Amino acid sequence: MSQRREDPDRSLMARVEARDADALAELYDRHAGRLLGLARRILGDGGEAEEVLQEVFLFAWRSASSFDPGRGQVLTWLLIATRSRSIDRLRARRPASRPEIRSLEEIAEGPAGPDDIEAASSGKQWETICRAAVGQLPADQRRALELAYFEGLTHQEIAARTSTPLGTVKTRVRLGLMKLRERMRPYWESGSDGP
Amino acid sequence: MAHSERHEELVAASALGLPLLGEGERAELDRHLAEGCAVCEGLLADFRGAATALAAGVPVATPPPELKARILGALGPARVAPRETSGGLPWKALAAAAVLALLVLGVDDARLRRQREELRSQTAALEGKLRTTETALAERVLRARVLENDDVQMLLLGGQGPQPDARARVFWSPRARRGIILASNLAPLPPDRQYELWVFQKGKPVNAGVFDADPKGQALFESTEFPLPEAEAFAVTVEPRGGVPAPTGPIVLVGKTS
Repeated sequence: MSQRREDPDRSLMARVEARDADALAELYDRHAGRLLGLARRILGDGGEAEEVLQEVFLFAWRSASSFDPGRGQVLTWLLIATRSRSIDRLRARRPASRPEIRSLEEIAEGPAGPDDIEAASSGKQWETICRAAVGQLPADQRRALELAYFEGLTHQEIAARTSTPLGTVKTRVRLGLMKLRERMRPYWESGSDGP
Repeated sequence: MAHSERHEELVAASALGLPLLGEGERAELDRHLAEGCAVCEGLLADFRGAATALAAGVPVATPPPELKARILGALGPARVAPRETSGGLPWKALAAAAVLALLVLGVDDARLRRQREELRSQTAALEGKLRTTETALAERVLRARVLENDDVQMLLLGGQGPQPDARARVFWSPRARRGIILASNLAPLPPDRQYELWVFQKGKPVNAGVFDADPKGQALFESTEFPLPEAEAFAVTVEPRGGVPAPTGPIVLVGKTS
């Protein structure tokens, strides 16, 4: 199942750790579009998403040593950093104003086909596995996860938004993550096998 | 307590960064993890990574062209600073030596005098720059220490009572038990008073350390012994210098996590 392949991001991270700004620039070229897409999905199209992108790359620059190659890929690490910073800002904004959040349907059926994506091969592999993993989730589990992931809604808020009992929401979130984890596992393993 | 689906639900919410509230959910999960449940510990990291699969459906954006230059430009001080501090400030030594050499030789040529003035002003400018850089670097290092944890949370605090214009941000990592408060618009205090940071759990304040504001009313304080993994609210009060075990003075900053 697992295949050994050189992830160009890893060598870039090693160079970033050694304070090579060109390596950070390359990392930016490879992933900034996707990370900014995620930040905008959460925060809307204002300048805040760009601020998050800047924070994430400065974080990568300063904390490159905290990246653990044994636990997922560089892209995953950057996405987690982008998402958590974006959600923090979203929460800090509430309840004063809520951004115009694009509908889930628009995102789910969005135009981001493989041809739109300029990511390098490891990004494409990641994308393929993710899309398959998410696509195989039952619709109600996927919706619960998307509300939590992109809007930072709590169990209670998801229950209210979807008119679903709280216990059911908790189960959907748990089962959804369990399934994603099983489907993502081959990808993690292909990047983190020992010799 | 034995591992159960209930714990997996709590882990799932925690991995998504959702606030755990009511019936002491956070305490329950912490207790369970502290008991050494290997299943939940593994799940927490796996769920966090698995959730990023959702991001694959998000359209890729095109960053504005100037953003890359802005980010790379912001790296500057972090790259040169270690050399400056560890290398014993070679530019300063060189500039001082040059000024001294001119003085010793007693050269009074107008051209050299002008150069000497230039060197002096350059030295002063570089010293000022170094101070700014050092401050910025200290801030970055401090922030990085907290922010490198992937469970970092952030909260905005607003001014209260006697200081309605005060503002602050708190960043904290429940796992690392570290927190940073960045405050501005704080009023100057008499020498026998200090600001004290409080973390609330179950409605009770616990001391997280004391700090001073600079003449501009700004403060940057790192609490390395963050008292509680879970925080319901943060507050800053004015207290006798050195701090007190329970708040006595007026609350000047406050914020709730939910």
